[in-house]
Amino acid sequence: MPPLVFYLLTLAVFGAIYGTLALGLNIQWGYTGILDFMYIAFVAVGGYVTSLLMLQPSQPAFGETYVLGLNWPFIPALLVGGLASALLAFIVGILALNRLRSDYFAIVTVSIGLVLYTIAGNDTPIVNGWDGISGIPQPFQDALNLDANSYGFFFLGLCIVILILVYIFSERLYRSPFGRALRSVREDEMVAQGLGKNVFALRLKAFVIGAFIAGIGGALLVIYVDAFNPSAWTTGETFFLWAALLLGGSANNRGAMLGALIVPVLFAEATRFLPTSNLPPQYIDAFRYIAIGVLLILTVRFRPQGILAEKRFRVRKSKLLAPAVATAGGGGVRITDADLADDPGTLDDGSPHAGEEGNTL
Amino acid sequence: MSQTSPDAAARGATATAHSADTIILDVRNTSKSFGGLRAVDNCSFTVTRGSITGLIGPNGAGKSTAANLITGFIRADAGQIMFDGKDIAHLPPYRVALRGLTRTFQITRELERMTVTENMMAAPHDQLGESFWLGLLGLPAVRKQENEYLQRALQLLRDFDLYDLRDEYAGNLSGGQRRLLELARVVMAQPKLLLLDEPFAGINPVLASRLSDYIEQMCREKGITFLIIEHNLAMVERLCHTVIVMALGRTIAEGTMAELRQNAAVVDAYLGES
Repeated sequence: MPPLVFYLLTLAVFGAIYGTLALGLNIQWGYTGILDFMYIAFVAVGGYVTSLLMLQPSQPAFGETYVLGLNWPFIPALLVGGLASALLAFIVGILALNRLRSDYFAIVTVSIGLVLYTIAGNDTPIVNGWDGISGIPQPFQDALNLDANSYGFFFLGLCIVILILVYIFSERLYRSPFGRALRSVREDEMVAQGLGKNVFALRLKAFVIGAFIAGIGGALLVIYVDAFNPSAWTTGETFFLWAALLLGGSANNRGAMLGALIVPVLFAEATRFLPTSNLPPQYIDAFRYIAIGVLLILTVRFRPQGILAEKRFRVRKSKLLAPAVATAGGGGVRITDADLADDPGTLDDGSPHAGEEGNTL
Repeated sequence: MSQTSPDAAARGATATAHSADTIILDVRNTSKSFGGLRAVDNCSFTVTRGSITGLIGPNGAGKSTAANLITGFIRADAGQIMFDGKDIAHLPPYRVALRGLTRTFQITRELERMTVTENMMAAPHDQLGESFWLGLLGLPAVRKQENEYLQRALQLLRDFDLYDLRDEYAGNLSGGQRRLLELARVVMAQPKLLLLDEPFAGINPVLASRLSDYIEQMCREKGITFLIIEHNLAMVERLCHTVIVMALGRTIAEGTMAELRQNAAVVDAYLGES
């Protein structure tokens, strides 16, 4: 495979996987306004559980120790991986989502992420500690028997199929009354409560659903890179995904996926032109995270809605009321056309069909 | 101040036949302290079904705390709050709302990055599609209900003169439009009792007059009982037949504005202070 093709293929696979991950984070943050700074831990749990289920039993004689090793096929391992992340989110959510305001909750998530990271690294028998796991079987390769190049394209296809499924799921969720209730929680918790919404239950559900998607994406990620240790899921990685979501556009699923395509490329390329020869290699990583930080600040400062802003729902023409029979009286503060002249509808993504997507689920 | 409007008087007259089920809200000996301050101190009052009742009192009288106690946003230290015959004092706010007691806030609160129509559509309580699975699957029953609510929302928006703003983000509305939307939204939730916390604060007299027309209309046409906390006594007099006066965390008097003006305790605590 020519190097350029290989490079683009790698980017595409990462784009699809990060796209999936960004969609999950979008349900938590974009829809519901939950500040989840342990998102990467959900990715890791899904990745670990899926891999550990698919791996052969561990062979301590070769210096590898991990739990499970059940040689499961891909699909059930993937689902259980997602469910494991969802279960973790459920536990964290039950403990903390009810009691803590969003910023305090965010601090709790950072700490839980760090605790899990430290345990995974230091308690070697669970996931082989800092050395990590590797040699995870390639999904469906038993049946397909493809050469390495073709398998690369097959795996890309697999990732894209899952991305599309998650995208369709997320869109349906967004348009449903359930999604609207989530957004009402995001906008104003007290109003939502006043309207009879069980805010805690809604936030818990969104948190768990997002974590499930994180687990699925994490499984694909770990299988693709085929070597996974705790250094791959530091808190910095969480902000990497946050940068993707915020740059692309919170609460817009296409925006989330777009950000997930752009940010990894920026991340990899941002340091390309540094004079690397006389810098210690760890500086490169540090510069990359600085670049992510700068990107986050610039996005929030200059385009807080992201590249693709949240879509505005419009009532479909077919659903409008029949023209009013001239209403009696009224007077007072009438809404005139002048009030509507300054239409901020330019925040839309410009798609000519945006206007047709009404409240019509 | 003018005489109580004949409309309000008529409403009061029909509500004078007191019996258990004419009382929709019965606050009994409720107390709430913040640190050493007894914001609401052994407070009791009732609201008659179908009435527009005012709750007035000087600043610091405990009106807003009472509102928060009634709607579950603050939990009472002691006492009962009977709504529709059941004690709601220990329910979280969303459960109170589900029972049919909804509120607005002193400072209008909107779902800003949702459109006016979406603000309305978020209000109904019994939405099938708000269950994760039903919403995701979008079954015909869900779509049918969604359609019905959309029609009701648009009708209400037309009633409140917000129809042309239906696709606008609520965050882009003017202060007055926000007041109207907030009222339309809580009406959309079809409450039995609506608690309005200073609905006339900071809005111009023309809009205030219109808002009060809406309140009377909603009371008459939709059978909603109103409990209105308000400083604007002219509006209170115009709208409310029964007015409850609070001072220092207690109810000190109840009656029509005309009666209250003759009440030495009230004049002392409140009306005389200006």
